[in-house]
Amino acid sequence: MSEYTVVGQTVARVDAVEKVTGAAQYGADVHPPGMLYGKIVRSKHAHANIRSIDTSEAEKLPGVRAIITQDDVPSGRRVFATDKVLYLGEPLAAVAATDPDIAEEAAERIKIDYEVLPVVQDVIEAIKPSAPRLHGDDTKDGPNRREISGQIRKLSRDKENDHSDEMSKLEAELEAYPDEVYYNISAESHTEAGDVEKGFAESDVVVEDTYVIPRVHQTYMEPHVSVASADSSGKITVWASTQGPFAIRSGIAGTLGIPLTQINVIGTTMGGGFGGRFGVIITHVPAVLLSQKTGRPVRVQMTREEEFTDGRPAPGCVIKLKTGATNDGRILAREALAFWDSGSVSGASIGSTIRVRGVYKIPNLKVDAYGVHTNKSGTAAYRAPGAPQAIFAGESQLDEIAERIGMDPVKFRLMNMREEGDAVPAGGSEPKVGYKETLEAVADAAGWWDREADENQGWGVAVGDWTNGCGPGGVYVSVHEDGSARIFHGSMDITGTDTAISQIIAEILTVPYESVTIRRGDTDSAPYSTGSGGSVVTFTMGNTAKLAAEDAHQRILELASERLNTNVDDLELRDGAVHIVSAEQPKSISLGELAAYSLSTTGGPIVGKGSFARQASTPALAAQIAKVEVDPGTGRTRVLKLVASQDVGFAINPMAVEGQIEGGTVQGYAWAMMEEMQYGEEGNINPGFVDYRVPTSADLPTVESVIVEVPAPNGPYGAKGVGEPPITPTLATMANAVKDAIGIRVTELPIKPEKVVDALKSNGHGA
Amino acid sequence: MKSFEFYEPTTLAEASRLFAEAHAQLLAGGTDLVIGMKALTETPESVISLQKIPGLTGITTEADNSISIGAMTKVREVEVSGDIQQHHTALAEGASEIGSIQIRNLATIGGNIAHASPAADTVAGLLVADAQVDIASANGERRVPIDELFTGPGQTVLRPGEIITRFRLPSPASGSHYIKHKIREVMDLAFIGVAAAVNLDNGTITDARIGLAAVAPTPIRATEAENLLNGNAPTPELLEQAGEAAAAGCSPISDLRCSAEHRREMVDVLTRRTLQHALERASA
Repeated sequence: MSEYTVVGQTVARVDAVEKVTGAAQYGADVHPPGMLYGKIVRSKHAHANIRSIDTSEAEKLPGVRAIITQDDVPSGRRVFATDKVLYLGEPLAAVAATDPDIAEEAAERIKIDYEVLPVVQDVIEAIKPSAPRLHGDDTKDGPNRREISGQIRKLSRDKENDHSDEMSKLEAELEAYPDEVYYNISAESHTEAGDVEKGFAESDVVVEDTYVIPRVHQTYMEPHVSVASADSSGKITVWASTQGPFAIRSGIAGTLGIPLTQINVIGTTMGGGFGGRFGVIITHVPAVLLSQKTGRPVRVQMTREEEFTDGRPAPGCVIKLKTGATNDGRILAREALAFWDSGSVSGASIGSTIRVRGVYKIPNLKVDAYGVHTNKSGTAAYRAPGAPQAIFAGESQLDEIAERIGMDPVKFRLMNMREEGDAVPAGGSEPKVGYKETLEAVADAAGWWDREADENQGWGVAVGDWTNGCGPGGVYVSVHEDGSARIFHGSMDITGTDTAISQIIAEILTVPYESVTIRRGDTDSAPYSTGSGGSVVTFTMGNTAKLAAEDAHQRILELASERLNTNVDDLELRDGAVHIVSAEQPKSISLGELAAYSLSTTGGPIVGKGSFARQASTPALAAQIAKVEVDPGTGRTRVLKLVASQDVGFAINPMAVEGQIEGGTVQGYAWAMMEEMQYGEEGNINPGFVDYRVPTSADLPTVESVIVEVPAPNGPYGAKGVGEPPITPTLATMANAVKDAIGIRVTELPIKPEKVVDALKSNGHGA
Repeated sequence: MKSFEFYEPTTLAEASRLFAEAHAQLLAGGTDLVIGMKALTETPESVISLQKIPGLTGITTEADNSISIGAMTKVREVEVSGDIQQHHTALAEGASEIGSIQIRNLATIGGNIAHASPAADTVAGLLVADAQVDIASANGERRVPIDELFTGPGQTVLRPGEIITRFRLPSPASGSHYIKHKIREVMDLAFIGVAAAVNLDNGTITDARIGLAAVAPTPIRATEAENLLNGNAPTPELLEQAGEAAAAGCSPISDLRCSAEHRREMVDVLTRRTLQHALERASA
């Protein structure tokens, strides 16, 4: 029996009714009077010099109210390309017109004179000396060239086991250009602990492979949209579909040189985000510029195709990974070299390569990661950014080791998992986390220990770790004369966070969940709040809400103390009323009565304030087991069973937590099996849902969720961020299950039927 | 979307006259045309709806079990029709593979065929049903066998002003089946589609028909494979030979979905499988 009455219970989401009735206001529902329609003019080439942009024909079109280019950006910050485009779909100009079709036609009438340049879209191709150089840094000390050939060379190759062509191609190039430095490198990250060379030397088994993970899109249902309105005084209002209104406010202010308080950002209901909804210049800045120029509100809304060509998807990468272990199952060393496809700008999640260390006691670790420029749009976060890629490599390779030494994959992982107080390779000491509990829970729930498989069926297991972020936030809570409470804050609801905040307030004020309502302010009115990403909201805003409720609680006791003539220490708030603790005087006063009384006191109404910025968070683990059946004739894989456990610390709303586990697991499944942004000669060739496949409910069985609760010391009621971890292990879970079913180790995702058929033909070696 | 003139004629003659004009497009269910117009890959100057013309919908079964399907019949109706399911199972199965139920309630079988995509899901089923296509225009009517309708991707023998009105399925096979090779379980396009229909006469295959989609510039019959099958008793070896013959007879392309080689291999595998299913149904 829980000591709590509201937290820890499944409750209906606060936004359930508005969502199911269609009343929720999304970005495209915003339509101020006189609104114009914006359209971005995009490059038709993936790499080209721009000789000229001629807008004269478009200006003549009736209904066109403004056309803007980089010349219209007073700060000079890059919003539109001017002399060079680096990817297909890069913005060159924007149009505002009275009708969306007119805007589209005007965009087509703008004449761009291109000088087409050679294109590079593969990371390994891009770092070769012969590759086209995106940022033209051919001086000796250019920032985008790095001395990395030594590192690539140092990684000895296990020719027998590494079936990937990628590194072979690169090595051939190295032979051809032995003394060259490398180009198109946007960033680098290096970590080292112990001595990997020594570790490999002491290992009985060393496995080495190259893993290729494709670029995938967050595929939120609502495309990017913003409506901007600049009034005659220069005050700007932006209705933005975003995870972070305050970040958008500072982003617009910084990009356009406008004072922060001249901008009010109103967050509209989010149609999904997954990390991809923080961009400032994608639609918000063009909408503001067009509104400033026309004096009318302007909506800029992307099509699905634009989402694919100019969204900020998750980076693909190539990871060369090497692991050494002893025959009795101890992992001794791991070394990774990763090239992340950061597109035309820097910023891929290269630091996440460290996730190859997993939750294991690996005494010797070396990780080298590089971001690489290619002719693609930049990237952004996607649900545990960078972790699914790195963990796919790490957990795939663990199964190869387990097979070599003849050990059960679950037992092998359990044996190597860190425990409280163990050293984290290159990362301090391990706190108390339910690593083993979570893996054991999924193994038990899935029936791993007495698993059976018919022909072409197999079981796969993998685990993935992630630690939620935290950030600043503020919450106010008011108690009204009818005993109800109202919360006011400025963070965007993401998958039920408003519900969790409401539960926490109700718990502390000891009122029914139903009597708590929540109101979101815009950036003009609400206290600052961090963006809703990084599994941060329930951790940060939950703690903030708790502080606010405790502040109100304190005021409630003060009021009751006055009213009941009793010392505060003898009072207790329980069931929506303050009671005198001592048994002789059974006296109480309700919250409503106290709220009414507060209106005529010198102290004033009950307003609790909470403000929070940072506390150490605790890692979470997701562990998953899949049973699959592969059709060796067609190469199609069917999931028969998918079980996902997760150490969530404490489940404030268990149904919402299960929803997160299911959603993340399905997105991981999709990345493993079908999702992939494909690139041809001139950019993305599958910019739509016909050939960029996201799964439907027909593709997999119900994900069985298992909640494990090992409390996080600083989380509200022990809660950890739950949104991101469940996507992290699924890529490897699926690949490991396919390997178990038909003996094919797929190292290059997605696991398409053709790859499986081809691998089976070439006698069971990596696809 | 570009602006266009919209017509809703109530007679075929009027529709045909309007459709004969340059840059005119017919609107049936709209599930291909409207998407194309939004993407600006279709920019018709006039759009002629067929929805107000009587007599173009419905499935009727004659006394001899031959079936007639109006061109404006919704794909969903074809999918759930008891007569189609019983006598032309491959066609019903193909219909069930198109998009979602919502899309199938809009899309028409005539539109699926007139669009002339080599990957259309109803086409392999119509091929193995040996369907005849009724075509009308202001100048009269004519009838074309389905395997002579297509001339290339998006191309047919239809002349300006000609409109498909009806499909006639003359001779029901006792067993037929359709398999679609795809990645996603539902709402995917065919990487390839294979239909087979057979009759069994005392253990001997007669009237074998194999229809292939997305393995050539047009949907095709695998006549070499059919010839191998007819007059012989079904054996695993025979089905294997038929699969190989079907694969040898197609000319697939490589594209972003898969390679030509993979398509050819899947023709082999799926021809064998779909024949096996059709034979099981024929002998049931």
